Amino acid sequence: MQGVAIPITMVAGDSYIHRLNPLPKLFIALGVLILSFATRNPLVLGVVFALGLVFVTAAGIWKSYLRVVGILFPISLTLVVMQSIAPAFPRPWTPITDFGPFTIYQEGIYSGVSMLLRIFSMTTFALVMIMTTHPSDLFTSLQKIGMPYVLNFILTMTLQLIPILQNEFAIVLSAQKSRGMKGSGFGAVLPSMVPVFVGAIERVQQLSISLESRAFGSTGIKTSFRNVTMSLKDYVIMVLGVLATLATTVWVIADKSLDWSRTLIFPPTLSIIIVALAAIGFVAFFILAISYVLRA
Amino acid sequence: MPEEKIVCQNLGHVYPRGKIVALENVNLTICSQEIIGVIGQNGSGKTTLVKHFNGLLKPTSGKVIVEGNDTAKKKVQELAAHVGYVFQNPNHQLFAKTVEHELEFGPTNLGLSREEVEERREKAIEFFGLQDLRLSHPYRISFPLRKLVSMAAVYTMRPAVFILDEPTTGQDNITTRTVYRLIERLREEGSTVICVAHDMILLAEVVDRMIVMRNSHLIADASPREVFSDTELMHSTHITPPQITSIGLRWPGFGEKKVLLSVDEAVTAINSSNPPANS
Amino acid sequence: MEDKKPIIELKDVTFTYASTETPALKGVNLTIYEGEYVALMGLNGAGKTTLQLTFNGVIPNMMMGDFEGTVIVSGMDTDEYPVREMAKVIGLVFDNPEFQLSQMTVAEEIALGLENIGTPPAEMHRIIAESLEIVGLSGFEDRSPFGLSGGQQQRLSIASALAMKPRIVVMDEPTSNVDPIGKEEIFAVAAQLNRERGMTVIMAEHEVEVMAAYADRIIVLHKGEIVLNGTPHEVFTQVDTLKSIGLRVPQATELAYQLDQKRLASYAGKYPVTTEEAVQDLTDKFGKGG
Repeated sequence: MQGVAIPITMVAGDSYIHRLNPLPKLFIALGVLILSFATRNPLVLGVVFALGLVFVTAAGIWKSYLRVVGILFPISLTLVVMQSIAPAFPRPWTPITDFGPFTIYQEGIYSGVSMLLRIFSMTTFALVMIMTTHPSDLFTSLQKIGMPYVLNFILTMTLQLIPILQNEFAIVLSAQKSRGMKGSGFGAVLPSMVPVFVGAIERVQQLSISLESRAFGSTGIKTSFRNVTMSLKDYVIMVLGVLATLATTVWVIADKSLDWSRTLIFPPTLSIIIVALAAIGFVAFFILAISYVLRA
Repeated sequence: MPEEKIVCQNLGHVYPRGKIVALENVNLTICSQEIIGVIGQNGSGKTTLVKHFNGLLKPTSGKVIVEGNDTAKKKVQELAAHVGYVFQNPNHQLFAKTVEHELEFGPTNLGLSREEVEERREKAIEFFGLQDLRLSHPYRISFPLRKLVSMAAVYTMRPAVFILDEPTTGQDNITTRTVYRLIERLREEGSTVICVAHDMILLAEVVDRMIVMRNSHLIADASPREVFSDTELMHSTHITPPQITSIGLRWPGFGEKKVLLSVDEAVTAINSSNPPANS
Repeated sequence: MEDKKPIIELKDVTFTYASTETPALKGVNLTIYEGEYVALMGLNGAGKTTLQLTFNGVIPNMMMGDFEGTVIVSGMDTDEYPVREMAKVIGLVFDNPEFQLSQMTVAEEIALGLENIGTPPAEMHRIIAESLEIVGLSGFEDRSPFGLSGGQQQRLSIASALAMKPRIVVMDEPTSNVDPIGKEEIFAVAAQLNRERGMTVIMAEHEVEVMAAYADRIIVLHKGEIVLNGTPHEVFTQVDTLKSIGLRVPQATELAYQLDQKRLASYAGKYPVTTEEAVQDLTDKFGKGG
């Protein structure tokens, strides 16, 4: 029964952020996404990240947030390692020190660290939005600003289908193991995938008949069960949020002095420690994950 | 002398998520050539129990021994040759392009030679009467036949014990009768059959022992006659005995609380105690 | 007999699915009256599901195939109305409870149809509460449909159909995937809709004993044709016909039939169909003692 589910869902609550209309949250999260890509400055990204953590606290979602971070952080560590030895940066690169067969570059460390912060600043805001918003409310809000009803339905259905298909896959896997199928390898692909796939098609066919039989697809005015309203407060927060992220974005692009790639000097020892810890962290996570999957 | 096939000793199971107790202290011995019904509502623990018989679940306390193997130390794949599990929905099992290929999957997994795989395939086709479907696509044949194919696919593993999950659900009378006959024939071949089922008519007619589950506990392990006569038990598990059993319990003419399992039994009982009607 | 008003009328309906040769329905003529509880019986593949899909126009409107004849439901010719329009008159519930559900909460599941026909939100809440109450799921509004038991899921599907205020509910083997408690619940809801709300209920079901007790009328399909059509007594009395096509009769009937055949008792072709009737008949014929 147990799939390895990624725990990104709404966390029930009644915080100020929970009660906010989905749209301001969505637009602020999008604004932060753009801002995060507009700069590499670790201080700016770090401040945005810290601000995100303030919202995590305000929403009271630390536990669920950390569960996602627990998966995301070790994976992001690969970026630090990879960037340090092969920066995504225009040459020339400034070598700091040798690390085994590799050379660690100044630009690499800078780029790795800022990418890590970038990932965390934008995902923190995205998670605050997702974890405090009922998906139906979000889709209904989007429908109100012009998203087609059918797209709303498809999004909802897809969210529902993921755990269902995970569960179906687990059943099929037990059925085939009961017929002696080895759990892994190429030979296991068809026996474990075909029944899930065929079942999904059958489900969708049956569902479409069932939906049509319940007046789905009627023409004319549609109404919404979910009552999602935008209050003045929501508008104010949305406008201020969007303005703040936009203004910051413009500033970080315009102000060339924020490029610290050559000024923020990492001493050799510190560089080795950063890269080594990142590598160890990632490898440890990888081994843990593999052993978990093998055990399940 | 009946051989012990499955032994559960103080079997308990707690699901890791939410620490839900699904089974508590089940003790049970299942022997060769028994036909057993496992009943109870969904969530009573009956599926959890039978999933321990082929190692799909491992005990969190106690032990399950299958033909001398401790299931905790064996993989499902290794136990597959001892205990066959036919899932309720054949669609969860079938994937191959033809019925023949489907039937070869199990024995091939067991690492048998090509000749042996073919021999087992042929035996299964004959046993389940699938001659006309050899080259049919398993998804293109009717649901009742698909169910037979999924049983045949497990039959090729030659397990000593068959677990049939709801073998007659959604089936019409003809297929149900076929399933009854197949269960009997499996026993004749020396197998043990365990039916997890809600179909009380099936159980009354075919099974010689019923295991009743409720709230993670085994609350009865007795013959269908004893189980169906226990009105308290029937009530507490929300199980309705077959209509003929209710008639037998309600008409005093059959004798004091006579528990009937089939219409034939009822006719015989009346025949022996009443002269033919003269009107 | 009360004045009977036809609500479903089929005239010479024949349907052949695309990609098959033999018709799934062959020249079916059938009238179902308002307020009836009709059971459809037959082997798998006899045409029960196909017949039910013609009632709201899924056949011919959504299924590829060859369709002949006319189906008039509550005065509407299904050929002329889209399925979604028919939803206001007739609701369908299918055999696999999970395959009918798509929403995140029970309330939204029921709201889906209402949103589509433009029901104002305030009224929507009232209808949802009412529908849930009828099927005994009040208080389940915020639960996930996928976390419910099979019986609860089927009752939710019934509630979703009821929200459209239909006059007919059609159920295709609604209990085939649920446990005994779930079965009891579904049969009880169906009976309540019929008895207390005067709705027309049509149910395909293999459980002959249950249908004998609930249905006003039994229709037996075989190879796409209606072979028997009458009250449970009329239909189940035809034991030989039913057996010849592979169907079972209630055990109550089977017992009387066998006693009759063995000349242990004479039923003169009037067999009991329920437990009560069987016990009464045995008492009448053999007294109380052995």
